[in-house]
Amino acid sequence: MAIAVDPRPRTPLGGTEDAASLRRRARRRRILHPMQLLRFLVKAFFSLLIVFLALFPLAWMIISGFKIRTEVVSTPFQFFPEVWQWQNYVQILADTAFLRTLLITGGGAVVFTAGSIAVNSMAAYAFARLEFAGKRFVWPLVLMTMFIPGMTILLTSFIVVTNLRMLDTLAVLIIPGMAAAGHIFFVRQFYLNIPSSLEEAAVMDGCGRWGVYLRIFLPLSKAPFVVVGITSFMAYWNNFVWPVMTITSPELYQVQQYLAAFRGERSSELGLLMAGSACAALPIIIIFLIFQRQIIANIKMAGLK
Amino acid sequence: MSINAPTAGGRRRTVHPSRRRDTSMAYIMLAPVLVLLSIFVIWPAIQAVFLSFYDWSFYTESEFVGWKNFRNVLVDPSFWEAVVRGLQFVLMTVPFSLVLSFLVATLATSVSRRVSSVLKVSIYIPSVISGVIASITFVIIYDYSGGLLNALINLFGAPNQAWLGDPRWALGAIAVPAVWLGMGITTLIMIAAMLDIPESLYEAAELEGANWWQRTRFITIPQMKNVLLFLLVTGFVGSIQQYELPLVMTGGGPNSATELPNLFIFNHFRGDAYVGYSIAAALLLFVVLGSISSVIFRIVNSEKLVD
Repeated sequence: MAIAVDPRPRTPLGGTEDAASLRRRARRRRILHPMQLLRFLVKAFFSLLIVFLALFPLAWMIISGFKIRTEVVSTPFQFFPEVWQWQNYVQILADTAFLRTLLITGGGAVVFTAGSIAVNSMAAYAFARLEFAGKRFVWPLVLMTMFIPGMTILLTSFIVVTNLRMLDTLAVLIIPGMAAAGHIFFVRQFYLNIPSSLEEAAVMDGCGRWGVYLRIFLPLSKAPFVVVGITSFMAYWNNFVWPVMTITSPELYQVQQYLAAFRGERSSELGLLMAGSACAALPIIIIFLIFQRQIIANIKMAGLK
Repeated sequence: MSINAPTAGGRRRTVHPSRRRDTSMAYIMLAPVLVLLSIFVIWPAIQAVFLSFYDWSFYTESEFVGWKNFRNVLVDPSFWEAVVRGLQFVLMTVPFSLVLSFLVATLATSVSRRVSSVLKVSIYIPSVISGVIASITFVIIYDYSGGLLNALINLFGAPNQAWLGDPRWALGAIAVPAVWLGMGITTLIMIAAMLDIPESLYEAAELEGANWWQRTRFITIPQMKNVLLFLLVTGFVGSIQQYELPLVMTGGGPNSATELPNLFIFNHFRGDAYVGYSIAAALLLFVVLGSISSVIFRIVNSEKLVD
């Protein structure tokens, strides 16, 4: 392909060719070269394939939700339902136990997310901006908690919440995971990059530490808060093992726990289970789509670190 | 944060009281996090180390037993089988996921911006799905008599397989949703790293007539060395700790074929009256994991240094 190298760099500067004619030439070249057409088709094919493979299991779950009980896994195999019917979706959304589960999980997730943003951003501010006695000891200690594997402390955390009489309350789902070193680290990185001149001006105007935090840092924190918020919400909504260990009353069941229990107890109603799974996945997908730009940009930042 | 500090002496005098004020302020702001982390992370970690030397249960007095729990774990062949299974699972997921992510990232950086963002969003969507929902969906796909996968292989004349019921297939059948769930973040990090590589390197290579493979081999991969190493180690640590998928899909069966290390420990938690064994196993796994990741880190790093 050495021959197809773009000739444009070799056009003399200030030559007679304007942008439009360059573009026309480029377009003509694209049509003329079969290699380029081939490359375009290969890229288009693989792009479609990737999108298809990434989304197919979800599509399959949603399609299965439209099938009657015997069609979801049937012999002979049936790709699409005989008749597309909303019955499963209507039935699961009319089920008060399922709705209550969605509401309780969603409510808990909102409280968890708000609390997580509040406590972690305050700590991040203190670590980023305040000089205090013991910082050299406290900061590594906080960072260290990031590297303790969940399984190592799963049982002893369970003992702790048992002793605190938190079992089978919403508090056991909301409080223990609220402080997270990863979030503190992430917000702190962001705060370290805020120029201190802003702060100095506020201090001159007579702002105290709280004033600086509340009036300068919080309004600037939208981007990191979106990331911390989405991550926390997702972690809460998708949590499964901890609720199974700590929640026993069906009226406090969390959504993943509900689905797993449903699968165990009513294993014949597969269409309904698939509809329920789709309804449980949808809120989190919608939230992701709303904030996808910020989340993807954040991953870019994480990659640069 | 003193503003008027013209001399060193003046600075010392002005910083000192403000620093003291900062200290109390800092601890007020840190209090919630420090209390929560102490109660729910640090104390449980200390207690885990402590309990690993005791015979402890919810119902009886505890008794100091020294290294007995650790010895029990280390001589238990089923613990080592679980560790080996975990390593097999890593081999099934991490290389596959890294290569696939690399190819997707290559594609996503070579197409128009609009196509690229569609690719990024679609590849990331599975990452927001819970392990439970992924498990439920894949169990339906793997169903023996009416599942999609068997219908698909029937088209090619192959007989039905019990994907989750046959020890030969079960671990691989769990690796697929694991890769599906985990690929999004790996791909996005790779895309970001690829966009960071200076364009001039590629222009120079193209002028010299380097093809795609040469550009990838001699520019992209060396330039992404650190990111790839990071992804390899985090992929390894994440993959070997997977237990939600097998917990929901198979519970560890058939015949322990999908009992990954963490699921092995979790099943002991639920099954044993005394917790010393499971805690000792969890601590040992932590140590084993830490050393394996540091070994990977060293090997890959030194190889690159020789290059």
